[in-house]
Amino acid sequence: MRPIAGMFLAGIATAVIGSFVLAQASPDETAIEGLTFLGEPVSEDDLIAGKQIYAESCASCHGENLEGQPDWRRRLDNGRMPAPPHDETGHTWHHSDRNLFIVTKGGVQAVVPGYESDMPAFEGILTDDEIAEVLAYIKSTWPERQREFQAEVSANDRGGL
Amino acid sequence: MGESKLRSVYPTLLPTRRAFLSSALGVSAYVLLPDLARAGSGGGIRALAFDGDVLLAAEATLNVSEDNGGTWAERTTPGKVLAMATNPDRPGLVAAGLEKGGVALSADGSATWRIGNAGLPDGEVNALAIASRNPDLIYAAVRGDGLYKSEDAGETWTLAMDRPWLKEAERDPLTLASVDLETGMGGIWIYAGTEMGLTRVPDCFCRWQDVQPGNAMDALVSGDAPPPENPLPDGEPVQSLASSPSAPERLYAALPSGIWTSADGGVVWTQVALSAATAIAVHPRDETYIAAVIGGTLKLSRDGGKSWTATAAG
Repeated sequence: MRPIAGMFLAGIATAVIGSFVLAQASPDETAIEGLTFLGEPVSEDDLIAGKQIYAESCASCHGENLEGQPDWRRRLDNGRMPAPPHDETGHTWHHSDRNLFIVTKGGVQAVVPGYESDMPAFEGILTDDEIAEVLAYIKSTWPERQREFQAEVSANDRGGL
Repeated sequence: MGESKLRSVYPTLLPTRRAFLSSALGVSAYVLLPDLARAGSGGGIRALAFDGDVLLAAEATLNVSEDNGGTWAERTTPGKVLAMATNPDRPGLVAAGLEKGGVALSADGSATWRIGNAGLPDGEVNALAIASRNPDLIYAAVRGDGLYKSEDAGETWTLAMDRPWLKEAERDPLTLASVDLETGMGGIWIYAGTEMGLTRVPDCFCRWQDVQPGNAMDALVSGDAPPPENPLPDGEPVQSLASSPSAPERLYAALPSGIWTSADGGVVWTQVALSAATAIAVHPRDETYIAAVIGGTLKLSRDGGKSWTATAAG
């Protein structure tokens, strides 16, 4: 295929796909600028769903306002660490999308074999889409600096999924 | 040299912590030691560090050598030093963890000192590290408490993380090393030697963890990853650690069983000295140039530990 012909066809394809996406999208499904999860766009609907899932499955330990458990840098009597905050005061924004997804789905032991944590694996409790939604919601609460940092960490994560 | 001996020479130059803090700035003394034996036997050395080509050895007092251990000069410090850290990007910067608590900092290679320990609790500071990529970022382990960090060159401190949990108990870091290897979390590692072996934490302080092959992201899928091929002896105290600034994956560790080295960030270790070792440091520009206290004697190696030569201090 000659380059010009290729560009022409690509342009048509883009126009068709764009028309399809615009025809299907409702306002709440419109991608939020600057926010993705695992490379996929995140919509307002995703965030609403994620916020609800967070309230039901995460807030009891990580706090209604993502503030974490009190004195979260100090070990519990059982030797395990308290639930850290998910806001900018914690370390969640240092982890890539892939890391966060795997930890949520498989538990911390999926990241560090043998590590003992009070956080359960959410596989079988939440679907992959629900895990993505709640993590997208958490990301949406971060200030710009933390979002930019975490986006770079995710971009440099060569592990893939 | 014992502290009492130094007091007899400079009785006013060893202030109490309270007096030192109130004066804000430290004072120093510099004493040439024509008698090389005065530099110490080596056996009492708690910490070693290189500040460029200058070798620092802390025992009851701090001694420095600018000629590879040939001659030594004594420097006063605000207290007995248990740990030291330097950073090749800021020559002259020396951080010293004090037995009486607090961190002393020098900007001129240990000639003068200041104390900047706001937020740091009382207790021995027995391990220190300066972040490899940021000389203003300093980590200090307070015995019986936790790991603290300062992002303003030691002026103020905040708790970074509780102590590591190894073999069903919290363990005090005996030594810290900022290891300039990527964690996959936008930062680098902090390694800690404890009475129960080696551990490490990313500098985001998410969790202490064993050393595993590859970076932390590789470990994500390491449910089937093989264990380290040759870790340090299980349960043996790691008294001192050093990561080479010129080759960060090259680590050295001082253990009761001897000196061990790793060329891969701590996954595979090889023993290079068989006598009990208590302190070690590596030259900032030459990863094969090591100073270590082995069998109670301060020795140097120019070939990564294959051969050793006792210094005048030894």
